Amino acid sequence: MAESDELIIGGHRFGSRLILGTGKFADTAVMLDAVKAAGCELVTVALRRFSEGVDDLCAPLAECAGLTLMPNTSGARNAREAVRAAQAGREISGSPFVKVEIHPNPHHLMPDPIETYQACCELAKDDFVVLPYIAADPVLAKRLEDAGCAAVMPLGSAIGSGQGLQTFAMIELIISESSIPVIVDAGLRAPSEAAAAMEAGCSAVLVNSAVAAAENPVVMAAAFAQAVAAGRMAYNAGLMSRGTDAVATSPLTAFLGR
Amino acid sequence: MNNNDLALCLEHAAAAREKVATATPQQVAAVLAAPRADVGSLAVLLSSAADGMLEAMAGRAQRLTRSHFGRTVALYAPLYLSNYCPGGCSYCGFAADRQQSRRRLEHAEIETELQAIHHLGLRDVLLLTGERCPEADFDYLALGVEIAARRFPAVGVEAFPMTEAEYARLVELGCISLTLYQETYDRARYDEVHRWGPKRDYAARLEAPECALRAGMRSVGIGALFGLADPVSEALALFQHALYLKRKYWKSGVMISFPRLCSEQGGFSAEYEIGDQWLAKVIWAFRLCLPDVPLVLSTRERPAFRDGMAGVGVSRMSVASRTSVGGYADGGAGGDDRQFSINDDRGIDEFCAMLHARGLQPVFKNWDAALRDGAAA
Repeated sequence: MAESDELIIGGHRFGSRLILGTGKFADTAVMLDAVKAAGCELVTVALRRFSEGVDDLCAPLAECAGLTLMPNTSGARNAREAVRAAQAGREISGSPFVKVEIHPNPHHLMPDPIETYQACCELAKDDFVVLPYIAADPVLAKRLEDAGCAAVMPLGSAIGSGQGLQTFAMIELIISESSIPVIVDAGLRAPSEAAAAMEAGCSAVLVNSAVAAAENPVVMAAAFAQAVAAGRMAYNAGLMSRGTDAVATSPLTAFLGR
Repeated sequence: MNNNDLALCLEHAAAAREKVATATPQQVAAVLAAPRADVGSLAVLLSSAADGMLEAMAGRAQRLTRSHFGRTVALYAPLYLSNYCPGGCSYCGFAADRQQSRRRLEHAEIETELQAIHHLGLRDVLLLTGERCPEADFDYLALGVEIAARRFPAVGVEAFPMTEAEYARLVELGCISLTLYQETYDRARYDEVHRWGPKRDYAARLEAPECALRAGMRSVGIGALFGLADPVSEALALFQHALYLKRKYWKSGVMISFPRLCSEQGGFSAEYEIGDQWLAKVIWAFRLCLPDVPLVLSTRERPAFRDGMAGVGVSRMSVASRTSVGGYADGGAGGDDRQFSINDDRGIDEFCAMLHARGLQPVFKNWDAALRDGAAA
């Protein structure tokens, strides 16, 4: 089952379906331990945190065996900046992956659908493996798929809010329509929410704050890994149908065939 | 430009002042349970009814700071380019009537000072001057920005109010933020302490942050110099100013600083005594009502206060600061030509060790030159 159940993004195969953000940890050592405890094979790191100094997040992650880096464009407020950030990230990290994150409002960090679409069109043509962070908008998700994105990353709720899967109904709709992986990104707080997303058919889950801001980030990373795996297993096993519809004592269909 | 909207926001602040006296513990509990980005919530938290709930406010402030900024504190260093100033601000060590040796950094010195700051590992620098004067005019400041932007991904300025075209030029040269404190929102007090010079123009100063945002500046830092006027009114007005900018210039960032008057050369003493507990409460109240806005604390504050506030409301801090002209390249020996005295003179290693001990990661670089785009907001 393991081999057939790999996560495939733009032709790249991953055994783990948990993706970690790396920016909010108390120190780099804890972040690396959390990445290991989560069994991550894909992590995202902001270009703006690439540095030649002691706070650099890129090099320590690049040294981890079996880990693919996905630079992100956090901080970009328009498509031009995002494209430049993506190019700089690829140049330094050597990774073709990019998480397109364009949030003109630096406070709530909600993604700009128009600028995101424009940047993704450009980056997909430039052979990036493009994963856009988006609001849970089923139409935008399809437009991005058509534009050549390798996956879409709808938000569960606002970044860092810990409000969980507020957009669940829209995410279900995106999943039902999508031919590319759907990865819930942002807003999760508890592993149970990650499990719920996976049970609903998400291909993967990305968390940062939920792990980094936990009392014990390393243990929380492991907990998310188990929840994601359990959710995926449940999805594959096929959940029983919901509902408690009783069968009427006088069948409503009894008249048929009379 | 018509600034009626901002005037109206400030009127609301004045109206909310009355709530502060009558707030009840029940109202405080209700706001603590669900703080909102409105001046009424802030007024309740600033009331004495909240004094018994400081621990709860601090806990909430820490959780919100952690959610929005992670377990990190962004660091920056201020660099005073010049202390020439035609201004007559009665509270300022650089005022024109102070017995103060005057100097400015020349091109090569700017390079050397920036090199020294870079050597500390910092990648976020704030360039400061006094009010506009022939020795430190726009072209001089622009040169400083140009030099700094070659080496630093994040360059901000804290200087005199400028025209929109001048701000646009700074943005082109790589400047990403403007810091400009109104000092006091109390009009009468403003006139009183700004005795002469270009800074007497209250309206021009109030207008400057949004002028910069219209010119494409990514973020503005605002603040009131607590101690000049009724601090509760100042906090409410500052909050309304921030909210106004945040809502009108929605593609831009707003940062808020909380300087309080400390003794400086000339012996100006503050009208209002601002105690640690009060300042902490203001910062936590701002964090509760504006969870995603960077809140800044400088080395004006003593180490114990800075340590206690790091990550507890405060998300951005200056470090290893010199408030004399230059001062980094000579290892901090510096002269006595400081704008204000520094109360936290710890070196960067010591400060970072403190942050680590508190489970906080010092972030030296949190921006990238690739993210500098001159497009207006």
